[in-house]
Amino acid sequence: MKLLRLWPQRLVGQVTLVLMLAVALEFIGSSILFENSRLYPNRDNQVRRAAEQLVTAEMFLEAAPPQQRAEQAAEISTRAAELSWSPLPQLVDRNRTAENDLRTRFQDAEPSLRGRDLRLNADTDRALPRDTHLKTALRLRDGSWLTLKTKIRAAPWAVLLSSVGSAFILGLGVIAAAALVLRNLSRPLRALAEAADKVGQGAHVRIAEHGARDLMLVAKAFNAMQDRIAGLLRARTEALAAVGHDLRTPLARLRLRAGFVKDAEAREALEADVDEMTTMLDSLLAYLGGQEDPEPPRRMDLAAIAMTVIGDAADADRPATYAGLDHLPVQARPLSIKRAISNIVENALHYGGEAALTLTREGDTAVVAIEDNGPGIPDAELAEVLQPFHRLDSARARNTAGLGLGLTIVQQILLREGGVLVLKNRPQGGLRVELRLPAL
Amino acid sequence: MATAPLAPTILIVEDDPALRTLLMRLLREEGFQPLSAGHGAEMARVLETNTVDLILLDVMLPGSNGFDLCRSIRRESDVPIVMLSARDDETDRLIGLELGADDYIGKPFSKKELIARIRAILRRTQNGQQASQPRGHQQMTFAGWSLDPGRRELLSPDGAFVDLSGAEFDLLLAFVSSPQRVIGRERLLEMSRARFSDASDRSIDVLVSRLRRKLAVTGQAESLLRTVRGVGYIFTAAVERR
Repeated sequence: MKLLRLWPQRLVGQVTLVLMLAVALEFIGSSILFENSRLYPNRDNQVRRAAEQLVTAEMFLEAAPPQQRAEQAAEISTRAAELSWSPLPQLVDRNRTAENDLRTRFQDAEPSLRGRDLRLNADTDRALPRDTHLKTALRLRDGSWLTLKTKIRAAPWAVLLSSVGSAFILGLGVIAAAALVLRNLSRPLRALAEAADKVGQGAHVRIAEHGARDLMLVAKAFNAMQDRIAGLLRARTEALAAVGHDLRTPLARLRLRAGFVKDAEAREALEADVDEMTTMLDSLLAYLGGQEDPEPPRRMDLAAIAMTVIGDAADADRPATYAGLDHLPVQARPLSIKRAISNIVENALHYGGEAALTLTREGDTAVVAIEDNGPGIPDAELAEVLQPFHRLDSARARNTAGLGLGLTIVQQILLREGGVLVLKNRPQGGLRVELRLPAL
Repeated sequence: MATAPLAPTILIVEDDPALRTLLMRLLREEGFQPLSAGHGAEMARVLETNTVDLILLDVMLPGSNGFDLCRSIRRESDVPIVMLSARDDETDRLIGLELGADDYIGKPFSKKELIARIRAILRRTQNGQQASQPRGHQQMTFAGWSLDPGRRELLSPDGAFVDLSGAEFDLLLAFVSSPQRVIGRERLLEMSRARFSDASDRSIDVLVSRLRRKLAVTGQAESLLRTVRGVGYIFTAAVERR
């Protein structure tokens, strides 16, 4: 609990703390490494210390009676430097360059060794870290011999390399740890970015309100903003839908009154006007109510629905044809699907003069394709026609009925059923519209 | 016509006064005897003192709505009910029909449509009192298919909803009501006309071929609807009622 309270609440504090921890870790780590590297003394020091030991032992043994010397030499030996006394020499001087060089350095370190009989044997390990095993024999003044066995440790470059390597690895470790912690800190920010991206695509995205206190405030503000936007939209939609429903009663009166008009031509024109208004109202209500459709998805025969739509058009003596499968089950909302197919067939009949519907199955996808022989849609506008209230210029010029919601509604419906709407201009002319749904 | 003693009495339950007046005038001109009520309580008062042949019932009413009224009427009487609604959606239509309404008309409707539907229902209920088609919600099954006249739904043997047009459904209902018996073309035409006035334009043969295609099941050698040359058709499967 205490640790949690020490954890800063704000983003700046958290980042600062992480940086401070990283710097401290790096500092402690490198100090340890540095200390360690000092344990490895360099070669000169080791040679100097061996010379010192030799001279000290000589002084000690010279003062002792010869019969006690061997015993005393063993007594003053250390783990690193083994001393022994013998009346006869233990070593033969081989006079090699390395050994002569070492003798000079012994004598430089202890000038009292100059002019004395000093024999050296140096053997260097072949394997890394190339320690040197050194044996030194010094002739005492009474002609007996003092022998020192010791080890001169590794070359300094190896020590240097290993310490740099460790520092590098330590640095990497600290950076990785800091990055991990910072990544964790920035996760709420990324979640926010993703949520902001999804808002407006229909889904209501709720982001979790946790993390640093200032990020939590952003999350809260974001959620509240979304709620307000959704509320505003809902209020507008409800108002529009209410007006839409209320308009039906005066339209019903108008339509009935049209029945009393004696002039047949005027009566038919009036009824056509009322029909057009009704169609517009229906498509507006379908567009607004799309999200809250209470109809549940169910297993349904896509073929039967497509046949009904085509059959209705054919009964009105319009050139609509059906081809393809007799049955194709899908999981969807039948009324929505019927509206979607019917909208596309209406469009094809209206703009393309005919509607040829083909139902096929491509693997796991049911494809309802509706083709016409009309002018198609300019490629540049293929995406735009899906926007609500969008109408092609030629369509406007023809003063056609509708609000420009047909394709938008179809797309809405298909998205909700997990399908897609594909519009293509056929190479031989005309438009091909595909409603693709997951088949069962 | 209006003076004929058998002029059917129709009660209009509609809260919009102008629409109510219009409907009264329209029905009177067509030879019916209209009564009107603005809400549920008024409707109950009218029903106490009059014998009514058919009720035109608006869904959106102040106080208890049309669905509530429909349910309470059905508890006491079998008088035909036609629901009128500003919400022309299928869910409302199904609720209405399930509650026992005989038909459902979305606003705005034309004079021709309204009169045709009223006449069709009156013809059905007045011809020998017993409706030729069962009005209840008896489910019927045949060869794995199931038909629900109340919801006007057909389910295939694998449980998928199979959409039928109004005329196709009525035709299938006619077949299923007299299974394994030859039915003449004239009789079929008459049966489907009883409900949809515009059925005359449609050839029964076209309707039958559409029905056949929707009822086709792979592996089923014989069609459920067999042509009897020169006479009509026969529905070959046995029908079970539940």
